Amino acid sequence: MSEKVTLSVNGHEVRVAAGANLIDALEAVGIDIPHFCYHPALGADGNCRMCLVEIEDGRPPIVPACKTPAAEGMKVVLESEKIKKIQRDILEMELINHPVDCPVCDQAGECTLQDYYMKFDLGDSRMDVAQVKKDKRLDFGGGVVHDQERCVLCGRCVRFTRQITKTGELGIVNRADQARVAIFPGKPLNNRYALNVVELCPVGAMTSRDFRFKQRVWFLKKTPGVCHGCATGCSITIDHHREKYKDARIYRYRARHNPLINGYFICDDGRLSYHLENENRLETPLVKGVPVTPTEALDAVRTHLGQAKYPLVVVSPDCSLEQLYAAQMFCLEHGAKVSGYSAAAIVAGDGDDYLIKDDKAANRPSLNLLGIDTSREYLREALGHADLVITLNNDPFTDGADADLSEMMKGITTIACATHHCEFFDNADIVLPIASYSEYAGSVINSDGVLQRFGRAVVKNRPVPELLELLHALGGPVADMGAAWAGMRTAVAPLGAVDPDKIGEHGMRLEGL
Amino acid sequence: MAARVKQIKRRGRTFLEQLYLIEVIKGMGVTITHFLRNLRDNRNLYVRDYPEVKPEITSRWRGRHRLTLHPDGTVKCVACFMCQTNCPSECIMIEATERLDGVAEKMPARFTIDLLECIYCGYCVEACPMDAIRMDTGIFSVTGTSREDMVLELEDLLATPGGFAEHEQEDR
Repeated sequence: MSEKVTLSVNGHEVRVAAGANLIDALEAVGIDIPHFCYHPALGADGNCRMCLVEIEDGRPPIVPACKTPAAEGMKVVLESEKIKKIQRDILEMELINHPVDCPVCDQAGECTLQDYYMKFDLGDSRMDVAQVKKDKRLDFGGGVVHDQERCVLCGRCVRFTRQITKTGELGIVNRADQARVAIFPGKPLNNRYALNVVELCPVGAMTSRDFRFKQRVWFLKKTPGVCHGCATGCSITIDHHREKYKDARIYRYRARHNPLINGYFICDDGRLSYHLENENRLETPLVKGVPVTPTEALDAVRTHLGQAKYPLVVVSPDCSLEQLYAAQMFCLEHGAKVSGYSAAAIVAGDGDDYLIKDDKAANRPSLNLLGIDTSREYLREALGHADLVITLNNDPFTDGADADLSEMMKGITTIACATHHCEFFDNADIVLPIASYSEYAGSVINSDGVLQRFGRAVVKNRPVPELLELLHALGGPVADMGAAWAGMRTAVAPLGAVDPDKIGEHGMRLEGL
Repeated sequence: MAARVKQIKRRGRTFLEQLYLIEVIKGMGVTITHFLRNLRDNRNLYVRDYPEVKPEITSRWRGRHRLTLHPDGTVKCVACFMCQTNCPSECIMIEATERLDGVAEKMPARFTIDLLECIYCGYCVEACPMDAIRMDTGIFSVTGTSREDMVLELEDLLATPGGFAEHEQEDR
């Protein structure tokens, strides 16, 4: 624990972390100080003046909270008439040229300006001169659409491109009521984290072309999840909704703060990867290309399993830890070999030194942890005499370099338990649709060895089984998540001390990987 | 404020009333009186020859919905979803899209009202910040031969004119 200091807020004593600024320190004990420009990842800028607080007996008596470290004995006053007047005046100034087009603004419902107006101001406009008109619907590139009229000039987006991506595409030009955020002519946002400025923007000035006008935010259900876009495994919030008479679908991913992994941001590829969860999904079981009922498909798989002498199971490095363990136990039960080879998921040279990794699989460390062989030689040797291949959402043959493996697959009966359509899965003898990661609960281990748990977000109108249930229905010994964890804690040493119910929202770093 | 109390005399407890027979005859007396009077002259019957004669309804009647237009004929609705959010029977379903004609930024691509689910409460009209949805068509009898007939689309809603002249004045 860091050092604590005692200070008084509105006459009540609180104990907060020493050294942190007042906004962060008081937020930790549930006291909110209004602010536009301050963001924990971007530091204090002090330009919005919304966080001004009174320090009793202090010199100076009124200070911006974002620039003031919490100190012992400090007497902070948030509710004095003077502070309330400052807050009202700041809001009135921000709203002078604001178009107040909340009905068409995507930010409405999660807008700081809207919330603060309702909380602190509620005043009518006193202006009788025409509003300053600025440009709307500016394409800033990178999928960002900018509305200069809604901007409060907090500069978060500018600081993001300067401090975080170090690309500096954005700047504030002109002064006073002509000031506006702009890009340099012909130099649009060009980095792989650009859509973070949409999330950073406290108002609706930055909108995402992808999410623009798709759904009002108050309809969205927000479930914590883990991005499966690459090996970083960023913490995300899955915003999903079931419209009347339609199926549940995901509308957007947002970054979820996680100090162990991604901080406050996620990459654009990960942010837009929700499309993959909505589209191109397998829904009906197929036997030799003919749609069948789930029961018929399971019976067909059981028959094949009963006849097979040398079954081989190929697991995906995207499967959750519990599913991989269940698959491993399933293979023990049926005397099958298990391989986790999937070179196709690695895009060499795609990663960077921030969040994006070359490895596009979310859970590869779990394969090593459970001792599942991932080598090409092992798969090649197993394929050499296998008479039945069951792939659990892994298509190891997409890579051009693996043409010889595809050649060996010819003539072997293939069963695909898969989430999405692809050539390999669609041509399998039996296709069993399974739930994708937004539709089940599980755990993944990222490339730094951080174990995260996530819950089930989306419930489809016609849910397809989760892999763990499916393997159990096919005679696998692991019945559910509880059984998987009980087994893993005895069999896998680094998980021995892990209580799955005590893994917090930020996950935990596993020792001894 | 003191509550005003009015004592109501309970009827039906006397012996003669408990016999019922006398009360039945008295009731039949009323019926037969009306019957004989109307038999002689039925001009004063309280009957409207609906549907040949339509009833007069007030301009505040909450009838079938419509979507209004700007004076230049463009759609007023900006697809803000306030009506859909407020609708207690969830009968409004909107899909929004980018608007490029310069009137607004956003407009409905689809605007569906399922009249079988609508309870005609008028919350959508009250919620609308644009005065784009109204229930002033004067259509009080909504009929259809199938479920699909009772689902109004954007074009139907825009095509229906207002039913009251005084509301048209407010448009200006």
